[in-house]
Amino acid sequence: MIKSLIITHGNLGGEMVQVAEKILEKKLDIENISFDWKGDGTEMVSQIERFIRKNQEHDIIIFTDMFGGSPANVSTPFIGSKIEVVSGINLPGLLKFVSYQSQKIKLKDLVKIIERGAIEGITIISEYLGEKK
Amino acid sequence: MTEKTLIILNKLGLHARAAAKLSHLANMYNSDIYLIYNEDKINAKSLLGILTLAASVGNEITVQAIGNDEKAAVAALGDLFTQKFDEEN
Repeated sequence: MIKSLIITHGNLGGEMVQVAEKILEKKLDIENISFDWKGDGTEMVSQIERFIRKNQEHDIIIFTDMFGGSPANVSTPFIGSKIEVVSGINLPGLLKFVSYQSQKIKLKDLVKIIERGAIEGITIISEYLGEKK
Repeated sequence: MTEKTLIILNKLGLHARAAAKLSHLANMYNSDIYLIYNEDKINAKSLLGILTLAASVGNEITVQAIGNDEKAAVAALGDLFTQKFDEEN
């Protein structure tokens, strides 16, 4: 079981998890941290440390909303052999993660699958449908 | 190999929640299961794959299953289509 934390500006991550739960009709094992804009990130670091301590037996993926933003910057120092950070997560990427979360899969392989799912989830629909016709 | 052509009856077509139900059901079977729509053939066990079909109400989709439980799989998926993915009952 790969554990996951989603850290975003505001409640973007919490909402994304709720939408995924609605689509899949099940409770998801993804924790959420909302970056409250005001703080300096210290509280966020403590929350990440708590999450990692609690899940030290597991591989962990931290999802953040945007590369270079505070949630991603604060998460980056935690990257290691059992922890990956994926920025720019979107709904397709998150759904991809959920479908593999409980499977036996290497962390490095899973983050590549999620990255591909998230990127492929961005579509200029007119071009896509044009190609299909 | 077992195949059956089905018509999408629910108004919203193969949207996110319907695709989630379909992939969830497909994952309960050992067989390889595919959905064929126009020239596209996708893995029915992949939610995102199903969404790429962009299939709407009235469209015909062929379900194809290959494996030891292929008949049961095609029957179950067929029921889901017939029941309009439990959306309009």
